[in-house]
Amino acid sequence: MNEQQPKTAPQKYSFEREPAKRVFAAELRETRIHFKDADDEKSPSYVLLPTGERCNRIFAVGTLTEKRKQGDQNLFYRARVVDPTGTFFVMAGSYQPEAMQQMARIEPPSFVAVVGKPTIYETPDGAFLISVRCESITVVDKDARDHWVLDTAKATLDRLDLDGQTPDSARARAEYQTDPAIFRRMVYEALAQMKI
Amino acid sequence: MDYSDTVERVSQKIVSRGHTVDKSRIEQKLKQLVEEFGVPSAEAERTVTNELFREFGITTEVATGAGDQKEINQFQNGEWVTTEGKVVALSSAPSPAIAQTGIFADKSGAIRFVTWSKANAPLMEKNRCYRLESAVVDEFRGVLNLKIHSGTVIKEIESLENIQPDYTPIDDLNPGVGSVKAKVIQEWDSTHERMLQSGLLGDESGTIKFVIWRDGDVEKLTPGSVYSIYYALVDEYQGRLSLNLNTATVIPEDEDIEVTSGETSFSGAFVHMAPGSGLIKRCPVEGCNRVLSRQNYCPVHEIQPKFVYDLRIKGWLDDGRNARELLIQRENVEKLTGINLEQAQEIAENNPLGMDEVFLRMRDQVLGKYLSCRGREIEHRILVSECAFDAYDPAVLADLLNRAGGDE
Repeated sequence: MNEQQPKTAPQKYSFEREPAKRVFAAELRETRIHFKDADDEKSPSYVLLPTGERCNRIFAVGTLTEKRKQGDQNLFYRARVVDPTGTFFVMAGSYQPEAMQQMARIEPPSFVAVVGKPTIYETPDGAFLISVRCESITVVDKDARDHWVLDTAKATLDRLDLDGQTPDSARARAEYQTDPAIFRRMVYEALAQMKI
Repeated sequence: MDYSDTVERVSQKIVSRGHTVDKSRIEQKLKQLVEEFGVPSAEAERTVTNELFREFGITTEVATGAGDQKEINQFQNGEWVTTEGKVVALSSAPSPAIAQTGIFADKSGAIRFVTWSKANAPLMEKNRCYRLESAVVDEFRGVLNLKIHSGTVIKEIESLENIQPDYTPIDDLNPGVGSVKAKVIQEWDSTHERMLQSGLLGDESGTIKFVIWRDGDVEKLTPGSVYSIYYALVDEYQGRLSLNLNTATVIPEDEDIEVTSGETSFSGAFVHMAPGSGLIKRCPVEGCNRVLSRQNYCPVHEIQPKFVYDLRIKGWLDDGRNARELLIQRENVEKLTGINLEQAQEIAENNPLGMDEVFLRMRDQVLGKYLSCRGREIEHRILVSECAFDAYDPAVLADLLNRAGGDE
């Protein structure tokens, strides 16, 4: 009875969608920490970005360089999407039928925009694999890619500028102990590849 | 039919005058009148109330005297009043039971009045002043009204002075009658053939919907112009106010005024296109316009095979910090996707996927791209009035390079 209630009770506040964070591949690759805010099964799960922000969803634009179909019963796609700093490992499985069908129609190489949830796997030998569970993937043009690089550079610099002033930022500094200068350099190099 | 609200109202009137009454008796009487005799429910309510008033001897008690002379802003529900004021507006009677309706104003305020046909009262003329003795103030749909009945004495008097009303800031309007100075900031498509014009008025404090119904010699307002609007009816529907200008005296002003746009702007990446986007079918019933299901089913008017096609996009725009829900209507959908309604219909008709094909093509045009939009925010959703794809701006690059390289 109680479990039914949230469905039937009138919604007072509209649903808040988790924003899609802008993050470069090189930063996402360094991400190790994931957590939930509450024990509730439905509460969102986050990864903690090394530049100091929680992240439930990302938006990335890059070049789809490779796409592979895997599995027989549980068909899914694995794809590599490359940005100026590295590679996103993107997956679309049968739980994301829309993304899977989109993926099926895209031929590499093309510029793609990906919306998805970052997930972290730890292998038995202690290595970390970060992949993006794809919610949607669409072909875009170079303009959109360039726009994204600037957008992501700005977002990353904004996160770095907070430098320990928010709880997430303080936690990231403590957990990752990465020199912020490394990410600043990553941003600079990503921007330097763009033609002025 | 459920009588509980009516029963409650009637019994309240009796109880508030110090008598007790059996609610089931009220319900039984109402039911009999409505169901056996086909009396309209409002009339049944009146009949039962009067009958009970007579039974408890209330009528005479209330009807004694003409009531105190009062100014309009002091009127209270249920009292008998004598008042002096000016007829500032007349509107056509909505029903044969009503001889005349309009707005009566003094320097303190204005109120809608209704003269019953049964009253056989002399009709009043616009812009003349009258003394009304023994009129009744009552409440209709949450707004006070002045009722002129057979016992009301109407006398024409000399012109009253200083009854020019003050303007009310739009944000402070209450249901009833109101005067504003405002600019026409939007003109909307008519949703009803009886509607001459509708749109949005704004002043410094806020915005409000306005409606002008086709009636006599009313004229349209010019978008972008400023008007002084005296004695418009402020209606409330589902918690939102609107101005009915049919009763109003509308005077064009030469000046320009500051207007809150009432709009928000938001830019970001379009990260999700929701089901129900693309080519849709709407219910053709006048004033309905609801979206039909695939089987042409309207939640109110059932199967509607003669639906009307429309385009819209629902989805989420995301700037990396916040995600906002958008509702984009046809004109902007056509602009963004390059697919107009006619082409969309053609695609749907000539394609095995039908309307889904339109959804997919539009999704491929918009999803994952950067957009900027403006629009009114209604219930956390932006009703987009203007939107465009963002162009890549190389000037930003130099700034960011400086920011990133600042440490070196």
